[in-house]
Amino acid sequence: MSNIANKRQTSGVDKILRVALYTVLLIMAAVYLLPFIVMLITSLKDVEEIRTGTLLSLPASLHFDAWAKAWSGACTGNSCGGISPYFLNSFQIVIPAVLISTLLGAINGYVISLWKFRGSDLFFAALLVGCFIPFQVILLPMARTLGLLGIANTTTGLVFVHVVYGVAFTTLFFRNFYQSIPSELVKAARLDGAGFFTIFYRIILPISTPIIVVTIIWQFTQIWNDFLFGVAFSGFDTQPVTVALNNLVNTSFGGKEYNVDMAAAIIAALPTLAVYVFAGKYFVRGLTAGAVKG
Amino acid sequence: MASLVIDNVKKRYGSVEVLKGINISIEAGEFLILVGPSGCGKSTLMNSIAGLEDVTEGRILIADNDVTYTSPKDRDIAMVFQSYALYPNMTVEQNISFGLEMRKVPKEEREAEVQRVAEMLQISHLLNRKPGQLSGGQRQRVAMGRALARRPQLYLFDEPLSNLDAKLRVEMRTEIKKLHKKLGTTIVYVTHDQIEAMTLADRIAVMKDGEVQQLGTPQEIYDNPENLFVAGFMGSPAMNFIPAKVIEQNGTPMLELATSATVALPFPKPESLAPHLGKTILLGLRPEMITEPQPHKEGQEFVITTDVEVEVTEPMGADTMILTRVNDAEINCRSNPAYPAEAGSIIKMMFDTSKAVVFDQATGERLDK
Repeated sequence: MSNIANKRQTSGVDKILRVALYTVLLIMAAVYLLPFIVMLITSLKDVEEIRTGTLLSLPASLHFDAWAKAWSGACTGNSCGGISPYFLNSFQIVIPAVLISTLLGAINGYVISLWKFRGSDLFFAALLVGCFIPFQVILLPMARTLGLLGIANTTTGLVFVHVVYGVAFTTLFFRNFYQSIPSELVKAARLDGAGFFTIFYRIILPISTPIIVVTIIWQFTQIWNDFLFGVAFSGFDTQPVTVALNNLVNTSFGGKEYNVDMAAAIIAALPTLAVYVFAGKYFVRGLTAGAVKG
Repeated sequence: MASLVIDNVKKRYGSVEVLKGINISIEAGEFLILVGPSGCGKSTLMNSIAGLEDVTEGRILIADNDVTYTSPKDRDIAMVFQSYALYPNMTVEQNISFGLEMRKVPKEEREAEVQRVAEMLQISHLLNRKPGQLSGGQRQRVAMGRALARRPQLYLFDEPLSNLDAKLRVEMRTEIKKLHKKLGTTIVYVTHDQIEAMTLADRIAVMKDGEVQQLGTPQEIYDNPENLFVAGFMGSPAMNFIPAKVIEQNGTPMLELATSATVALPFPKPESLAPHLGKTILLGLRPEMITEPQPHKEGQEFVITTDVEVEVTEPMGADTMILTRVNDAEINCRSNPAYPAEAGSIIKMMFDTSKAVVFDQATGERLDK
């Protein structure tokens, strides 16, 4: 059999199609990469070079001043400490929000899939509606709620908002993943004498790694990149980096420092990039795992 | 080991009645098999015994204790599932000892118990593997090991062999039988494989539509089926059902059989045929009772030899199944492979009705009880 495969001739048409395919792929890659390349080049030029050169001209020499300034010296609104404090703010919001919403989603999914109760499907359907509620719609009621809870303009408040908004998505992910787990696994554990949380902790969670990774990436990206909730519900000291970036770009004394803007934008995007680089393969694997087993 | 009593158990989902009043009672150490087509309620009954589903009505007693409303973990039951339901993240050893750990058995005892069970099932060399690294047969053994380790009062097997290939299934079947003989445990075993039921059970409960059709020993069920359904369900190939008219010959009710020739077939209980004179009823005759002419049976009271036309033959090695047509019904006969029978030819076959049964055509009820 293998001989036949080796001897198979590729026709001229095949080769042309292949070349065309790669050309299209390269063009697409360039289209997606170009903005980032422009940002990177611009962040490494000095202001003079930006003014005289074109977008794509390479810097004559590398200047890292813009990066340093963006990190710790640029003015965002009234303060001039760069975006570093807000970068930390973002982590303080994102880490607890991601962990809590993922954990809640896992428990919700576990119950909806493996401990079905009367009306659990309806409950799930109702929860799904949460995925389709636009951000803007919940701004006012949420502001009122945060006020009543006494956590308006705080990091805790932002964590709360992101958890509430994220639970619909995380539940959906975990529920779909747990649908492929045979219910007999839970039955066996119940007969073995394990209770609700023991089964969750000892049996279900250890086999949930793929979906945990997917959920964490999804939630991390969503919450890190969020601007609307950040701008609406944060206090002066608790702004996330996305809001600070906006302020930085809009605050100008004298000439516009595009290199600083670009450096700040890249810094703000780095964590999500890092997450994709380190966990991206799990992301794809986890998204398709449930589909195949279905 | 404990006795089990299922007392008028009913289960309804909304308006659908899945179990319609089940009454089964088995002694300690008995091997009960529940058989029936899919959807007959046997798995629901199993889950009810385990406590995984609540019953709507009735009582369940294990060792004379009412456990109807006891939670599964307090019923002291172990179950082997069709999918094995091994915990994928745990090694074989952890799988077997999980139930003991949940019951707070000290570590040394757990280890000793795992060793004992592993040796009994010959899986000692697999203890450090994960279920994903095991073959189907090995997983099956581990699932049994998990059940055995707890030494529960009652074992439930939910179609434990149906995911194995044919050869392994036969092997494991024998092994389960040996284990039962050795340990003397009470077992309730669900299957849809009637050979499994025949070979393993002390008693069989044949179920259909949420009702027990018949409860009895394998031989009782095979020889003396309560109704048409039980008769057709047990036995492979299935019992032949021949519509036959009740006629009278020399003052005795007999059954008319039209093959190549028309003959009158005697029946062991002619008095049960008498009320149906002139009507057509169903004659149930197992394939092994229709054979090539056997000299030693010649002249016996309920034996008749007649001509039939062969439609198809199916050699099975030990026997050859001959498909023919009697009273316009397709019937299977079991003959010696050496007996010449070619498709299309007319051959002599011997009908032995000493173990025949008759059913009402409309209701399927047994007429000669």
